[in-house]
Amino acid sequence: MDEVARSIDIETRRMELRGVVKLAGEVIAQYWPMRTFVHHNPLHSLEYLPFEETVRRGKQFMGGDGYLPSHQYRAYLRSGRIRIQDLDAALTPLVRDKQVSIGSRTLTHGEVLRACLSEGLCTPVVEPLDAPLAESSQELIDRLAEKLAPVATFPDLRERVRAIAEGDQAALGRWLTLSHWCDDTFGTDIVRQINDQMIKWCEAFLDEGHATWPMPGREKGLYDAWKALAVHEWSPCGIADSKRKIKQLPEYPEDALLESLDLLGIPAKLRQDYLSLQLTALPGWAGFIKWRAEERDYPWQQLYPVGLVKFLAIRLWYARELVQKTCQEELGIAGRYDTVTAYMRTNPDEYYLRRQRVAGRLPALYAEEVDRLRHQKHDGWGRVIERYRAEVVPRQHAAARRGMAKRLIALVRSFEIDPVVLADQAPSDLKQLIDWIEAFPESDHGPVWLKAFEAGYQESLIGKLARNAREGEATRAPMISRPYSQSVYCIDVRSEPFRRHLESVGPHETFGFAGFFAAFIRYRAWGKEHETEQFPVIMRAKNEVREIPRSYFDQAVSKHEVRAKWVHAGHTLLHDLKENVVTPYVMVESLGWFYGLPIFGKTLIPSLYRRWTAWLRGLFVPALATTLTVDKLAPAETAEMLAAEQQALVRKALRERIGLRSSRITPALVEGLRQRALSGSDESDPALTEAAGQAGLSAEAVNELVGLLRRRYDLNARAASRHKERITRTGFTLDEQTLTVDTALHMMGLTNHFARLVLFCAHGSTSDNNPYESALDCGACGGNEGRPNARVLAMMANNPRVRERLRKTGIEIPSDTHFLAGQIDTTTDDVRLLDLEDVPPTHRADLARLQEDLKKASALTSRERCARFPDVQEALEETPAEAHVRRRSVDWSQVRPEWGLSGNAAFLIGRRELTKGLDLGGRVFLHSYDHREDPSNRLLEVLLTAPQVVAQWINMEHYFSAVDNEVYGSGSKIYHNVVGRLGIMSGPWSDLRLGLARQTVMNGEVPYHEPMRLLTIIEAPRERIDKLIVRHEVLRHYYHNEWVHLVALDPEDQVWYRYRPSGTWRPIE
Amino acid sequence: MMGTTTASLIAVGIPLVGALLSFACWSIPDWLKVCAIATAVVSLGAIGGLAGFLAGPTEGFLFLVLLPLAAVVSLLGQPVHPLYRSSSVMTLLFLGLGLGVLTQNGPVGHILLATIGGLIGLLLYRHHSPLWPMSWWGIGTFGFSMVMAVAAAFVYPSLSAIASLLAGAVFLPLAPLHGGYLAALTRLPGNLPSFLSVLLPVIGLHSLTATIGVVPDGLASAVSVTAVVGSLYGAVKALAQSRVRLRLAYGSLSFLCLLWWFAASARGTGPGAAVFTAAVALVTSGLLIAWQVVRSRYGDDVDPQSISGLAAGMPHYAVLLSLLGLAAIGLPPFGVFAGFIGLLLAPTVSFSIALVCVLLVWLAASWYILDLVQRLLFGPRRSDLRLADLGWAEFASLLLVVLALVMLGVLPAHLFGPGAMPTTAETGWFAWMK
Repeated sequence: MDEVARSIDIETRRMELRGVVKLAGEVIAQYWPMRTFVHHNPLHSLEYLPFEETVRRGKQFMGGDGYLPSHQYRAYLRSGRIRIQDLDAALTPLVRDKQVSIGSRTLTHGEVLRACLSEGLCTPVVEPLDAPLAESSQELIDRLAEKLAPVATFPDLRERVRAIAEGDQAALGRWLTLSHWCDDTFGTDIVRQINDQMIKWCEAFLDEGHATWPMPGREKGLYDAWKALAVHEWSPCGIADSKRKIKQLPEYPEDALLESLDLLGIPAKLRQDYLSLQLTALPGWAGFIKWRAEERDYPWQQLYPVGLVKFLAIRLWYARELVQKTCQEELGIAGRYDTVTAYMRTNPDEYYLRRQRVAGRLPALYAEEVDRLRHQKHDGWGRVIERYRAEVVPRQHAAARRGMAKRLIALVRSFEIDPVVLADQAPSDLKQLIDWIEAFPESDHGPVWLKAFEAGYQESLIGKLARNAREGEATRAPMISRPYSQSVYCIDVRSEPFRRHLESVGPHETFGFAGFFAAFIRYRAWGKEHETEQFPVIMRAKNEVREIPRSYFDQAVSKHEVRAKWVHAGHTLLHDLKENVVTPYVMVESLGWFYGLPIFGKTLIPSLYRRWTAWLRGLFVPALATTLTVDKLAPAETAEMLAAEQQALVRKALRERIGLRSSRITPALVEGLRQRALSGSDESDPALTEAAGQAGLSAEAVNELVGLLRRRYDLNARAASRHKERITRTGFTLDEQTLTVDTALHMMGLTNHFARLVLFCAHGSTSDNNPYESALDCGACGGNEGRPNARVLAMMANNPRVRERLRKTGIEIPSDTHFLAGQIDTTTDDVRLLDLEDVPPTHRADLARLQEDLKKASALTSRERCARFPDVQEALEETPAEAHVRRRSVDWSQVRPEWGLSGNAAFLIGRRELTKGLDLGGRVFLHSYDHREDPSNRLLEVLLTAPQVVAQWINMEHYFSAVDNEVYGSGSKIYHNVVGRLGIMSGPWSDLRLGLARQTVMNGEVPYHEPMRLLTIIEAPRERIDKLIVRHEVLRHYYHNEWVHLVALDPEDQVWYRYRPSGTWRPIE
Repeated sequence: MMGTTTASLIAVGIPLVGALLSFACWSIPDWLKVCAIATAVVSLGAIGGLAGFLAGPTEGFLFLVLLPLAAVVSLLGQPVHPLYRSSSVMTLLFLGLGLGVLTQNGPVGHILLATIGGLIGLLLYRHHSPLWPMSWWGIGTFGFSMVMAVAAAFVYPSLSAIASLLAGAVFLPLAPLHGGYLAALTRLPGNLPSFLSVLLPVIGLHSLTATIGVVPDGLASAVSVTAVVGSLYGAVKALAQSRVRLRLAYGSLSFLCLLWWFAASARGTGPGAAVFTAAVALVTSGLLIAWQVVRSRYGDDVDPQSISGLAAGMPHYAVLLSLLGLAAIGLPPFGVFAGFIGLLLAPTVSFSIALVCVLLVWLAASWYILDLVQRLLFGPRRSDLRLADLGWAEFASLLLVVLALVMLGVLPAHLFGPGAMPTTAETGWFAWMK
């Protein structure tokens, strides 16, 4: 009974721990593999908190800044990008009705606060104890410092020491791990040591085919694989007797983690925070593990399971061993939470001196004295602190007063007052000014700057839209004739310039819609082994689509396949030779010169080289026209396809296992073996016996082969059922197709006045030597190109049966309307139209005209984009601009092939009429929406809970990468190395780098992407929006917690309103 | 024609007069600094002019030029502040006495040497702190040097050589008599450490050159062994230091001990030794000035661990400090390299365990010097530090050091030897006047 009770208790503790770990993992964001780069908010899990609070948590746990540095905001202020009136408005809640007279001038509290921001008066500056380098106003500084002496009081050293010790006791476990505490108190390097170990193990375990020699034993999971290997290490991080200690670890990672937490003495109430701190020490690797653990279908996760509990079990083992060792060696106490807090409580002087020593805040002589006491284990701490109080503290106070004097002089100079007048002021006035400055530390400036920064842009954008709305209504002539074309682009901010230019070159209508075009598909390209998920990561798909060669290419297909196989074999051979232990020595001599060609080609003549290799590839493996399996297969077709695949498998087994030549493999033998393997019976069929006899196979050989087919080749009833289910997922039923087209057309507001050509234009990109390539592709398509989605929707919309059904739902598509698919390359601005074989001959003229206008728009877009590249010094004409963007796309040394989504700032849901003709600078996500087509509010609900979420993720990814690129971004591309085919490290050894590269968001030292929170603008009645906010928590989080600003144009009164965090609307004047 | 004594008196007198004149502008630190620099420059010019008349040191003309040059660069690198007035005056005083040691042989030279030792001892006592008990070692060793120097002046020649060698071992530091050198470089205020880092080895080598050839073989062997051990000791201690001045002091100790090993093995010095000493002394002085730049901004007793990322905000400083670092680890074309190679390629040096130790010392220097430079220039940039780049005087000071090191590295070594010194009045400046 006891045994049962203990077992239940253990299981309960494990479950409880898993829950704690799950909650602890909230502070880190998931990390998707880089091949499907997904823009996301690095603090996404904390969106239930207000923005400012989340930024504080980010600072606390990850050390990241949530706002730009103040000097950058000041530069914006000087350039006029931030306006004084916006700054004053943002300061209003902080201003008190007080003032101080300085000379003949009266300074209000508000003016002083503004000066703090604009002059950087609150910037923390280390004031040296001595000031050997005299300043220009040294005399005045000294006089003011003397004047401040009676009023400027400082806390006694003993109080300071006690406050620090108490503060750290409170922080321990919440914001400070024991490893950090040791590092801060003894100058050890425990956190780095643990990180290095964890990087080593994670890199090896999580590898996805990059490593030549994979880590053994990965199928057992991270914890067991680590245990199996780590016992062979000799004293890792100086941990003595590590082999025995690791061997004695519990079997389950949960138990090991609990054991470590118990040994470290972490109280139950602090465990969640403590584990959060451990995860945020390596947010990249931990984030990837978090993602993988949640993706149970991910093939690598199925093969090599990993989870945060396992990660933490290993991490905390290192932590507990190193903390124990350090505390024993330094203080002779156990490395536990309670003993460490007791030490701080009972030895505050010693603790203070040690901390100051490690932080480099002690004068040199005292630092050496502390070192001496530490090494010789002397008990002279009291003597040192007394001397410190007598000798250093007065100098610190004097230095602090000099610092105050300098601030006062800078303050009055900013008001163009002669600082000499300060010498005649009453000390109490001077102190008052100092108090105001000190009560507004620089850490509080970020929110004020950000609000002022956002206000300038928002006012300008809303002003433009309001003017356009007013003037547009008055001047716009109603469209009478059909437009040349209608085209639908992704909501991506990069579509905006292209749409504007296309509309400017002819009567073309454009629409914005999420780039997956409502087609939730898993897609397998022809010749590829893996599927891609072509939909936003917050959703799921049940339909699969395959790319297949068009039927009239039968002969060419086999030729193509053979050649493609040769190319693949060549690549594999070359790769194996390069990775082998011995062959590289020979390779360098024999084939090394061959690599010179691509090196010189890519470096010296990149465009020409790209064209030449494409030509060569086309010559050897010519491209074939393909189509997609959009329609669902009939049951008979499914059975036929399944049988064909199974028969191919049997043939393969006969060749591989028996060595039978193709000429001796008869259809009867194949079918007999297939049926026998599927039936599960061991009884031999006479037909099979006969066919086997003809092939020279004995009954035993047949039996053995059938067994192998079932076990090794997965040819059995269960697998067949699974396979059949997968095949039946291929394609869409007629109902599904109708629903998809209907939803898409309604959401984009394209339900009538169809043009003869309607283009669904997806987007992709081209760049070389760019691990972040997928970050430039379509976020709505899971970081892939959107071409398959556009093709699927166009094929569905061209299906006469679908049109027939749509007619019943009220969408009358004229018979002469043809839907086209295309893809724009956002790096080169080239638009490639797809499936042109399907365009009716009657539309040739329309097609030619569209292609011509697309080309013009492309050139105009390239010219506009070139003006934004920092390395393009002068404005380029259209042709050079086109050549320039093409060159960037093939240049393997180019760290910035395009700006991508940088600059994004707003998301507009409304009719194109609102924005038509406006230059929005490629900064606005545009989603077409006509509230009149959405009486049920269903479409707006989808837009706010799906595309807006994606836009907010993109916006926040850019925001945080710009404000603190080292913590939330991934640093400079120059140092990036691909690791495990899943992510990026800086240099050879680092955390997985999160976020965007420095070159993506920064132009040198200045942000190219202006970090602002997303502004969502909706053209819809307010009460409808209110209903949705009430219904959806995610929207409440966004708008009430100030993650997203919301503005609405109410069609009923044509007034613009701003939604306030309190849940009310305020008209915008 | 001017006599040797007169020339020597002029050379010694100019800095001493300058020191006296400095008191006239005591209340205006700016003027005092200008006065001190001007005196050092005049002294440098006078050495050039008097070259033919001076009874030059056996190590050659190089040291006579080096001392005023070191005074100029150390004074230039020092910020203007009332706290540093006495350092400027003491620099001139030490310059005069140092030139006296180099130009006066016999008892007068020994007395001047004893005076320098005594003065430094007094200064160390003046700046003693109970938190730095090592100062007593410094005071003690300089007291010892004073006694030895006085003894050398008055005892029999055979004992005089030994006493002079022991006095020299305090100035050109040889473990275990290095306490004074360490204390002088780490405890004295203002620009004195950067000047003394040149003066002490120079006058120490002067004593060594005069005596190493005549001391008993047993003593020379003992010195050789001690020097190798001291060199390794210095390198290990330098590696373990976190304080900049201590690291530089131990680093230079390790290099200068090599010189003792070379001199004891070869029973003499030569142009290579002079170049090596000058280069090591100058590079130590340059690095101390570079550290003085940091101290003048962030406090006299700033903890180096709290300073990092200076490269971004102080580009001129970063370039010059990097060059000094490269010079200090013995890369061409700087003087340390030339001197080091000059020593190693001397015909008297043969392969031995000591040579392996020498190479280890060199390798260790590459580690701790580059570590120091890297820590200061790179790493996280602290926003709370005022990153003011070099002022013109600091820039000129460090640039002069770098240029002097390049000259020591690229000019042929024999130019610095005794043969290169003008011996007749015809080549001297005063001869032209005549």
